[in-house]
Amino acid sequence: MRETARRLTLQYVVASTLILLASGLLGVLIRDSQANLGRLGDNTWYALMTAHGLGAFLGWAGFAVMGFAFWVLQELGFELRRFGLAMARLTWWLMVVGVAGVLVSTLAMHFAGSWVFLYPIPFHSAGEWGKWATAIFLSSVLLVGLSIVTWCLSILDTVIGPGLHAVKGSLLNRLGVAMGFGYLWPKRFATGAKPVPYAVIPLTVIAIDMIIATLPLAVLLVEMIVQTFAPSVHVSPLLAKNVLWWFGHPVVYLLLFPAVAIYYHLVPKLANRKLVAGNVIAIAWVIAVIANVFVFAHHVYLDYPTGTVQASINTAMQPITFALTIPSALSLYSLAFTIYRSDWKWTGASTALFLGLVSWLIAGLSGVVNATIAFDTVIHNTLWIVGHFHHMALLNIGFAIFAAIYYFLPDLTGKPLYSDAMAKWHIWLTFVFGMINSALWMWQGLEGAPRRFSILPDRYMTLAQAAIPFVIALGLTQLLFVYNIVQTMRGAKKKPRAVATAEAMFLLAAIAAAIGLFVVGFFLGRDTAPSKGGGGETPAVTTTTAATATTATTTGAAAAAAGKEVFTQNCGACHTLKDAGTSGKVGPNLDATMPTKAKALLRLNAGKGAMPSFKGTLTPAQIQAVATYVSQVAGSSG
Amino acid sequence: MGGTAILIAVAFGIATLIAVWVSIAVASSTLSRGPMDEQKAAHRERNWLLIVIAFLVVLLFATIFFIPYGKTAPKNSQVVNVTGYQFGWLLSASTVKANVPVEFVLRSRDVNHDFAVYDSKGVYLFQIGVVPNYTQKLVHTFTKPGRYDILCLEYCGVGHHLMETHFEVVP
Repeated sequence: MRETARRLTLQYVVASTLILLASGLLGVLIRDSQANLGRLGDNTWYALMTAHGLGAFLGWAGFAVMGFAFWVLQELGFELRRFGLAMARLTWWLMVVGVAGVLVSTLAMHFAGSWVFLYPIPFHSAGEWGKWATAIFLSSVLLVGLSIVTWCLSILDTVIGPGLHAVKGSLLNRLGVAMGFGYLWPKRFATGAKPVPYAVIPLTVIAIDMIIATLPLAVLLVEMIVQTFAPSVHVSPLLAKNVLWWFGHPVVYLLLFPAVAIYYHLVPKLANRKLVAGNVIAIAWVIAVIANVFVFAHHVYLDYPTGTVQASINTAMQPITFALTIPSALSLYSLAFTIYRSDWKWTGASTALFLGLVSWLIAGLSGVVNATIAFDTVIHNTLWIVGHFHHMALLNIGFAIFAAIYYFLPDLTGKPLYSDAMAKWHIWLTFVFGMINSALWMWQGLEGAPRRFSILPDRYMTLAQAAIPFVIALGLTQLLFVYNIVQTMRGAKKKPRAVATAEAMFLLAAIAAAIGLFVVGFFLGRDTAPSKGGGGETPAVTTTTAATATTATTTGAAAAAAGKEVFTQNCGACHTLKDAGTSGKVGPNLDATMPTKAKALLRLNAGKGAMPSFKGTLTPAQIQAVATYVSQVAGSSG
Repeated sequence: MGGTAILIAVAFGIATLIAVWVSIAVASSTLSRGPMDEQKAAHRERNWLLIVIAFLVVLLFATIFFIPYGKTAPKNSQVVNVTGYQFGWLLSASTVKANVPVEFVLRSRDVNHDFAVYDSKGVYLFQIGVVPNYTQKLVHTFTKPGRYDILCLEYCGVGHHLMETHFEVVP
């Protein structure tokens, strides 16, 4: 059976690592684009953001910790039984097919509703994606959701198995034992051997919670798939928002709690002593199992429509969210004292565990800021949040995953780790670059920079560009990880420390040189490139080559004149615009909506509702001209 | 950066410094290995729990009175009707008076939006989610005349970042 668990875990590790590389690359691309380095089109940017979010969060981090949960349980004497194993295998396939579907619907079919696909946005694509893209995306997310449920069943079946030494108890009693109740009520939840290992508790807790959290979302997803083809079916957007976060918060802990199991299991091993934990830690997990499924509304602190109970729900969320910090606070205490003055050797795996704990502490503190309504009013939906969760997901959960890979890979493959020195370099550099990456985001967030903007307002550009060298370095550092893993799996001979360090240094020097050349080349190239005109211009300008377009972009007055003519001939019948003397009533009054040039371009190219796309009717140059004209005069003489 | 943002930056900065100091202390302790009373440390976890609870209770009572809910508009308020749509804002008035409360009455025509206001220096002031099918209200008194910019902070489609408009506060 050890062999089965070994192969299963390896499958999860390999698949999730491949997804990490793909989604990490998408992350670098969208971040670069924000800083005006390789600008992507709006649809592409938001589609990549959607794929990056789901891919990195569930396809990498979630998938990886799901796999290591099986291995941790195996090491603790909890064997997968027949049902558990079948569920574990089904989970793998559901996740892989689901992630593939997300990639196809976003990258190939332009679905760009963000990973939260906030109802009813999938049905309001502004002409950017079709019904089938929506249906495939929603079905794929449903598969990912089902994979979470099957994983939970697999974990529950395993933790109540013979490994518990309490097989005679009733089902509920065994669940209680697996949740650590034996530490609090030793008689009632007695076992044939010692109490349950600490690492089993967070796994049991999350397996219970994720079933409760995922099923309502699955119902909503089915409703949305039906609505894609039968628009008369619909639900309340406010209810849908709550259902989304009913799942959306606990899913964060689908990543964190199994990572905690890895910490609980590996830190004592490496410190060569038992986990320093009092019985109160079992209380923390009782709080966790209850509070986790009730904290959802802290994601909607700033939604409180008149005449609803949402404000009261939101207010209640602050103390509940605060209560949820207790499992983290106690775990950090126990893990820190387990390491304190211990026989701790600084290897790649142990460094990853230690720095992961440091990140957990610091990212936990920024989480307390988010949990506080009075503070959330300032940082809600800003880049602060993005900085917070990348800090938590990459540098805490990700580091538990890296630690588990560096520690367990020799057991899983039967081959020694290629280079521990290289592993340490990977961990330290990822830590430093990742910290800077998150810190810059949080700083921008405090300055009010919005999240999920393909193009940020100009005032945030300096920090967005300052982050780029670190983002690229962070991405390239992962090559050290990939190289090390591939060499290990190939069975390459273990290198002496000095050789491996030299190899790592060489790789890094090459990386640094590449970044240097890239950045220098970029700025030289940008300085010599033709200037792009005033602010608010879109890249579309540079793609038009017609002679009139050159005129249109070089002299605003000429553009306006040309645009006015195009407008009166093509647009005036539907739109009111005083400057052009038109008074159409079919579409919005442009003097009232005052569209920016970029928005006018979007509408002209994609159409919306009754408005057709003018892509075929007008030349690109005419579209540019009319957009320039409208953005200049709308509202001005009104 | 607004006042609350500066407060967050300072508080989080101090907390991070303490966290780093603790981390370094734990890390360096492994260089001078030695006996540690594990049972005592495990037993004292109870005290740590009480400290954490005390801290959270203090923070809760220090901040819970600053929630943005339940504010009603005074009678002399200026009402501005706001409609969010893909991708723009319609305001029923483009100017409001300074030092007189403004009641924003917000609705969405299509998807979720988030109405956020920034002052003329680009400093963020406040935001409120705009859920379709519902009406939401927010009261704010502007003291400084000038141009105020509006952005959308809830992802609402590929033109999300284009949802900008502005209004004037006049003396």
